[in-house]
Amino acid sequence: MAKWVRPMAKASGVLMTGALLVVLVGAMQTSQTAPSATMQSFEPFQAPRDVDTTNLRGPRQPILYRHDIHAGQYQMDCRYCHGYVEVSSSPGLPSTAVCMGCHMVVQTQSPEVQKLAEAHNSGTPVEWVEVHELAQFVRFPHQRHVVAGQVACQECHGPVQEMVQVWQFSSLKMGWCLDCHKERGQTTDCTACHY
Amino acid sequence: MTDGMDRRKFLKVLGVTGGGTAALAGCSTDDVAKLIPYMVPVEDQIPGVATYYASTCRGCAAGCGVHVKVREGRAVKLEGNPEAPINRGKLCARSQASLQATYHPDRNRSAMMRQGEGLAPAEWEAALAEVATRLQAAPAGSVWFMHGTQTGSLDALIGEFVTAIGGRRLVFEAFAHEAVRHASRETFGRDEVPLYRFADAQYILSFGADFLETFMSPVEYTRGFADAHGYRDGRMAKYVHIEPRMSGTAMSADEWIAPTPGSEGTLALAMAQVIVERGLGRPPADARSLRAALASFTPDLAAQATDIDAATITRLAQEFAAGPSVALPGGIGTQHADAHRTAAAVNVLNYVAGNIGHTVEYGHGLRQGDGYATLREFTVAAEAGSIQVLLIHDANPVHASPSALNVSGALGHIPFVASFSRFQDETSAWAHVVLPDHDAMEQWNDWQPRAGVQMLLQPAMAPVFDTRQTGDVLLDLSRRMGRTPRQATYKEYVQARWADLQRTLGDRAPFDTFWRNALQRGGVWTEARPATVRLAAGATRVTNPAWAPTEGQLTLIAYPSSTFYDGRDAHVPWLQELPDPVTKMTWGSWVEIHPDTADRFGIMEGDVVQVTSAQGTVAVPAYLYPGLRPDVVAMPLGQGHTAYTRYATGVGVNTWSLLPGEAAVFGGAQHYVSVSLTRTSRHERLAKTEGRNRQLGRGIAQAVTLGGIAHGALDHPFHVAHAAPVPEREEHLLDEVAAAQRRATDYGPYALRNTRWGMTIDLSRCTGCNACVAACSAENNVPYIGAEQVRRGRAMQWIRIERYFEGGEHGEPLETRFVPMLCQHCGNAPCEPVCPVFAAYHTPDGLNGQVYNRCVGTRYCGNNCPYKVRYFNWYDMSEPGAPKFAWPDPMHWMLNPDVTVRSRGVMEKCTFCVQRIRGAQHRAATEGRALVDGEVRTACQQTCPADAITFGNMMDPEAQVTRTAADPRGYRVLEGLNTKPAVTYLMKVRHLEEA
Repeated sequence: MAKWVRPMAKASGVLMTGALLVVLVGAMQTSQTAPSATMQSFEPFQAPRDVDTTNLRGPRQPILYRHDIHAGQYQMDCRYCHGYVEVSSSPGLPSTAVCMGCHMVVQTQSPEVQKLAEAHNSGTPVEWVEVHELAQFVRFPHQRHVVAGQVACQECHGPVQEMVQVWQFSSLKMGWCLDCHKERGQTTDCTACHY
Repeated sequence: MTDGMDRRKFLKVLGVTGGGTAALAGCSTDDVAKLIPYMVPVEDQIPGVATYYASTCRGCAAGCGVHVKVREGRAVKLEGNPEAPINRGKLCARSQASLQATYHPDRNRSAMMRQGEGLAPAEWEAALAEVATRLQAAPAGSVWFMHGTQTGSLDALIGEFVTAIGGRRLVFEAFAHEAVRHASRETFGRDEVPLYRFADAQYILSFGADFLETFMSPVEYTRGFADAHGYRDGRMAKYVHIEPRMSGTAMSADEWIAPTPGSEGTLALAMAQVIVERGLGRPPADARSLRAALASFTPDLAAQATDIDAATITRLAQEFAAGPSVALPGGIGTQHADAHRTAAAVNVLNYVAGNIGHTVEYGHGLRQGDGYATLREFTVAAEAGSIQVLLIHDANPVHASPSALNVSGALGHIPFVASFSRFQDETSAWAHVVLPDHDAMEQWNDWQPRAGVQMLLQPAMAPVFDTRQTGDVLLDLSRRMGRTPRQATYKEYVQARWADLQRTLGDRAPFDTFWRNALQRGGVWTEARPATVRLAAGATRVTNPAWAPTEGQLTLIAYPSSTFYDGRDAHVPWLQELPDPVTKMTWGSWVEIHPDTADRFGIMEGDVVQVTSAQGTVAVPAYLYPGLRPDVVAMPLGQGHTAYTRYATGVGVNTWSLLPGEAAVFGGAQHYVSVSLTRTSRHERLAKTEGRNRQLGRGIAQAVTLGGIAHGALDHPFHVAHAAPVPEREEHLLDEVAAAQRRATDYGPYALRNTRWGMTIDLSRCTGCNACVAACSAENNVPYIGAEQVRRGRAMQWIRIERYFEGGEHGEPLETRFVPMLCQHCGNAPCEPVCPVFAAYHTPDGLNGQVYNRCVGTRYCGNNCPYKVRYFNWYDMSEPGAPKFAWPDPMHWMLNPDVTVRSRGVMEKCTFCVQRIRGAQHRAATEGRALVDGEVRTACQQTCPADAITFGNMMDPEAQVTRTAADPRGYRVLEGLNTKPAVTYLMKVRHLEEA
């Protein structure tokens, strides 16, 4: 049974290299590795084909990018698009070139994909609306949480693989950070995050 | 639970309603943060992770290698390239601050052409066409190309360009060391400045050369000097400085000797005479031929000329001849009318002591500029109308030459001037067309600081403005004038020359491999073999130099500023606010007057004084400085710009306006001039960061002598000399308090089982150069605040160099001590318990944390800090549009994204570069390993040219910092307060026999 994907410390071949479906298949295979205590597992998710976009949670994005289809139904590894999460504070957003790697051939007739293709071909970047806005004066190193802390993406971001449109799952308030840090016996020093 | 409305809920509702109102009032989507990814991922950039590019600093001609730290496509910091042969990973203050020039709001943003009285932005096409037309129309020989020192490819390209159009080139450098070159030509037949090898010397004698400040290659020389003069295992070199003024360099000397101005050469000749007569040292065989020429320079006669007693001269000669030694002419000692004789005398002294070829090496091709005399030729030619077109690159002679020469008047005679200047300055104000060059961070180029060393420059980022590389512009102009250069772009031109270089080096790898390796390392370098030199005929014609001020007047020494060099860096606000190493003055000019002289004229510090020479007069505040002969006054060069960006214009006075326009015999400008002083009725409060210049027994900057160490001075720790006596009945109370504090420190929540970050600063290496201050500002987004706020004591630099004087009164020799003062990260910190909101608190790894978002600005912590290292944001320096906004667009592009930009009402201070600590910890944790000693380096430590600073975990017994802190010279400042600082200072050691 395919388990839900969690960034692996030593996964290879998942940084965006421009390879197309080969990497997609590879990513699906890396998701077969052994689960750990912090990992959450999910049944394969069948994304709804049609959704009512009027009442979706979360901010409206310029393109209705379906995490539920990509991450849930097709089980794409988060890192295929958010490729820097293991090396940088910032997980990174996919460039349109990464999107077009698949969508040159996949779902080219979809109006949302056509918006993407239009942006890509005209050289206009897509202006995504930020969902998870961290408070000022605080630093959050994704790489340390994901690699050293073995924290699954969903623990903070929620069941993104089921979200038609991404909404903010956690409060991202300091108390919420500290609850987790205390629970796991991690530092509660101010200058760990505030400097 | 009740449904009642408590305060918290009330505020929540209020907040939501408030937000709704705002949304109604404006367009709600304006407040939404947007995430905009790359269209195509950039190969070597990861958002959030820095990329480093090897390049070369172009702040002066020294050619230090840099690593440019780039975040999200923008250069944010310069670090020294550890491999580079000149600077070995270190940088000076000017280099550290230079990104402010890259992102300067007043940079020329596009090509410009003259429209009426002023210059207006123009299309590059039109500007280039205009220049090409003018060049083609100019009669042969009427085109001049004036530029600053150039080496390598651009030098070659300019040469080819000028030859092709039949023009003439003039290399203008304000400090071209003409006297040293002239003397080397006379004594050894070589037209160059030698390379001085300090590291091999046990005795260093400088005749006015400010080798730690501006002379030739300050970073390299500081490193060599600190290696030789730093105390280690009972040994260190001795450094004697001879100059009428104690310069910033002389402040590191063990002995400062102030001869009559201009008599340094006589002293050198008398020393040489003693060495030759007594057969001291290891002179080359032909040194005997100098015997007759030197015979008349006996110490007794020299004593009259130099005002130094004969016994001292003999002693200096003996000490000099005894060891591997080095004597340097240069700097201000070689800038008077007869200074080539001084330099020649010092050359002879080095020769008879056998230093040539050992500590003094020729054959490295060190020369900067054509010399001042050629600038005179230029003004004569311009006034005669024989210059039709002037191209000018990287030179500002209107400001950086004696006003008496009247370069601006000469420029007015030239029908067409094209400038490649990045800034509008006094010279480019005369331009008809401006073709702004790229900044060093934006261009392909190379640089050859000396024979055998080839450095590369590569663009670390896309150009900030619509500028073009001057090399490309010259190739373009060549094409427009009907020629076909072999290369289409300047980058290809550079590469073609590097392909030649590869062949010369006998490297058989494919060029691409050679080029990539060179780019990665920052260049290619080999050890050049020094040339063997022999005495030339001119050496025997040595004679004593003479300088005499006009009867009844004082000698003014106009010295180059270690901060602004010739004035080219006065547009960098961080440097304007960087306290001068000697006077601790910021944002302005001053005249240094000896306290006794000031008494005679009735002048107090801050009184505005009219300084009048035959050439002009300036009004400038007085700074009373004991480090001068009473018959000398001194002023720095570099300020007093009339049109050079918002930061330099109108700041201070132009000292060049006092200097004579005539060139000296050796072809240099004269920086000694007779002046008279007149006190005016005005008084200014000086914008200086100095509080007290005496320690008053506080033991802040401690020192021992070499003789003292030999006699066990380090066995007895320092005692506070002036501590108030404690009444007997209170003694036990104090003991109890101290014991309670120790308990809290050692066993309480502060118990440090894992990590305690600590630092050591070796005062026997520190030269007070300010590089750490500038590096800290660049790393930590420290704003500048302007002269008015500095006057109020609000300077923000997180690290400062405190400068204290010892002696200098009642016939005692004057001694200077430097102490870099930063947050001491006390184990028992006075700032922490007084903070009502726990913004100042102690971290588990031993830092004094400062949480900006908790701080409410009571300033209790600052008031309770005995070290005065906490700085308050009185104004909003971080808010665009605020009156004191310190980062006008695009200067904010250089802000370090890893450090919070503090806002008004917040206290800030040194964090021990906590962002670097956390960054290294994240890296180590991600790689599943522990931190290694030396992995975290603070910004000040990384750049320190003297390598005086170590940093690390004091709980690790093997760490270098722990071992260094255990040195018997170690002490902590104000240790008696039981603050338990994490910074250990190692006492300065003076190379003196007496204890």
